[in-house]
Amino acid sequence: MYLELSHLKKNFGDKEVVQDLSLSLEQGKLLCILGSSGCGKTTTLNMIGGFLTPDGGSILLDGQDITRLPPERRPVTTVFQSYGLFPHMTVLQNVVYGLKFRSCTKSQAREKGLRYLDMVGLSDYANARIHEISGGQQQRVALARALIVEPKLCLLDEPFCNLDAALRVKMRGELKKLQQELGITMVFVTHDQEEALILADSMAIMEQGRLIQNDTPMQIYRHPANQFVSDFLSLDELVWTEDGVLMKVIKR
Amino acid sequence: MSNRSVPAKRASKDALFRICGKGVDKLLLVALLGSVCLFVLYPILCILMRSLRGGEGLSLAAYETVWSQYRVNLWNSVFVGTLTAAFCTILSTATALFLSTRKGWAKLLCMGLLLVTMVSPPFVSSLAYIQLYGRRGWITYRLLGLSWDPYNCWGVIWMQSISFVPLNALFLTGMLSKLDPGSLQAARDLGAGPGAILRDVVLPLLRPGIWVSLLLSFVRSLADFGTPVIIGGRFSTIASEIYLQLVGYSNLEKASAMNMFLLLPSIAAFFLYRHLMRQADLMTGNGRGTQAQLPLQLRRCGPAGLLAAGVSLLFFVMMILQYGCIFLSGFLKLSKGSYSFTTKYLEELLKYDTSTLLRSVEYALVVSLAGTLFAMLFSYYMERRKVPGRSLFDCLVTLPYMLPGTCFGIGYILAFNHEPLKLTGTAVIVMANMLFKQLPTTTKICSAALTQVPVSLERAARDLGGGQFAVLRDVILPSLRPAFFSCFAYNFSSSMTTAGAILFLINPGKKLAVFKLFDAVYVGEYATASLISTILILIVLAMEGLAYLITWKEAKPRVS
Repeated sequence: MYLELSHLKKNFGDKEVVQDLSLSLEQGKLLCILGSSGCGKTTTLNMIGGFLTPDGGSILLDGQDITRLPPERRPVTTVFQSYGLFPHMTVLQNVVYGLKFRSCTKSQAREKGLRYLDMVGLSDYANARIHEISGGQQQRVALARALIVEPKLCLLDEPFCNLDAALRVKMRGELKKLQQELGITMVFVTHDQEEALILADSMAIMEQGRLIQNDTPMQIYRHPANQFVSDFLSLDELVWTEDGVLMKVIKR
Repeated sequence: MSNRSVPAKRASKDALFRICGKGVDKLLLVALLGSVCLFVLYPILCILMRSLRGGEGLSLAAYETVWSQYRVNLWNSVFVGTLTAAFCTILSTATALFLSTRKGWAKLLCMGLLLVTMVSPPFVSSLAYIQLYGRRGWITYRLLGLSWDPYNCWGVIWMQSISFVPLNALFLTGMLSKLDPGSLQAARDLGAGPGAILRDVVLPLLRPGIWVSLLLSFVRSLADFGTPVIIGGRFSTIASEIYLQLVGYSNLEKASAMNMFLLLPSIAAFFLYRHLMRQADLMTGNGRGTQAQLPLQLRRCGPAGLLAAGVSLLFFVMMILQYGCIFLSGFLKLSKGSYSFTTKYLEELLKYDTSTLLRSVEYALVVSLAGTLFAMLFSYYMERRKVPGRSLFDCLVTLPYMLPGTCFGIGYILAFNHEPLKLTGTAVIVMANMLFKQLPTTTKICSAALTQVPVSLERAARDLGGGQFAVLRDVILPSLRPAFFSCFAYNFSSSMTTAGAILFLINPGKKLAVFKLFDAVYVGEYATASLISTILILIVLAMEGLAYLITWKEAKPRVS
């Protein structure tokens, strides 16, 4: 497998935040880690990104053990929940920042930066400052910045939670398209069931630090592991047809 | 019948209260704005007018005289100011970086040391300088056996740099704690090592703060007369010359013309400062929350990180030496080349000078109470009510922050030395000067606290039938309690240690402890000077501690 988490463990004090978590993912696929807040999903993501060191277990990426590698040396990038954009740089400077640490000339970086900005539909904003653009645009800058270094794995930590409902739906579609076009492997953390069902190639449901079920969305929809999964996804209110249309039943 | 009259009575009482409240409200606003005009704007205008007053009508004669006679002093001021600003900013930035990347006891200790420096009377570092590095200094003479003349401009620059560090360092530390941790994480995630993060993210985000530090140190250096007077020797700046002209020759005309050369750059610096502070807010995401520690290890940051750690350690070692020297030398007696312990100086001090100390405390308490109330009311009107000319008054009230103390003091003499407002020689003028000099900081503390109170709380109070006055009494004042204590502590410590502004206003028969200290240093009674410093520091620390204890106790969740 391309990405393999095996028996990951993390404690904060005497609280076990992640317990014996094993997961794997194929190259070019998108994994959604789904769970309510405090279930350990962000902690898991931080361990993959290198911001937390696991207390046990290992992380393999493309055959390489990256468990103890610091974040700056991992071929992994993150789109943070708060974006973490640099307020003192322009949009373009933000996007090309990561290329500084990879052999790349200034003009190459600029060219590539403009290409990625075009890809996320922001070519007109290259010289804008971060505080001059909207939340949705900031989101795209963060995405372009993470993708431009061509990481082996891209992590997204609830990236759409600061956006309004309509924009969230739009960004969701754009992300999926971009991921498939570039063939990038992604791990996506969210608490939004709908988002997970639509985006994911593979879905992992966590509760209280443990992995409850890991399968394709359709499999989970058809065979929820237990009552918790069924309730959490509100499967009673969903109808999924074979041609891929997901319908939500709203009762009065 | 009687049952119905009770609510009716209450309603009429409420209505009366509301009408009275409205009147009081307007009256209060007019009084606040009026006193700001009288005690800030008017004195500044007085200096301006006086400096333009030639023999007949308006003229620039005074400026020409100063320009031709005191060009050396002006040049000295600019020279010292520039170098002080540079050194001080390097020290402050290094110290701030060091503090922000540390946690635990080392950080607490360093913060404590900075606090002590913050609340020290202004001449302490000069006093320590003479004792440690002077002709008979503990280090230069007794330890190294050197014989050198420490009274020159480099001593002034060095001492000014050191004594301005705490304020700048605390400001920069505050800014660093508000940096978005996401930015730092993102940089790491994209491949930036600690050194690159420091260079590409932390320092650029800190840039407005660094400019503020440069600006503040420059203006404070221009205004500082104590250091050049004490350790400048024959080197004199424009501020020390003003002191000499005023105290030595009582030449008010010349002093106010020279003051204009301080006033104009200060006002320019003030507007630059406001601009930079807005930039700083932008960089720190308008204070979206603070973090205790910057996730960065200085020793891994390459040469810049090592330099920062080294410089800040040097600073703290110097501070420890300085205060060790101050605390010790009040109790040491030199006889036959060796030191012995003595309480002689303490006994003498307590015998002759208790009244001065008590007067200082008394003044400080009055100013703290009045100043804090003023700041709370003023910031309420500015933040929450649509006062016409709001930005003008906001600007006016902040102006004294950048105004050299001597300017502000001379402005008061010019403004209040004749009927109908003859205040010179009274305690009122001294306290008013302290109050308005400190108002920029206290209103800022209160405004910050007010922005934490949701407007909906006020609306709820009005919605439920309370008038403006009730809102003030039941909503605003209670929620400003923590701000009250920090303002009070700030007012108290500044009033106990301030010297520049009120030097010219104090009645010779009613000296304050700081002036006793200045006199003692000036005539070379170093033991007495050290004792006064120690006592002042202890009193102020006790008050700060008390204020901290009260707010800390209240902040604790109540268990019922």
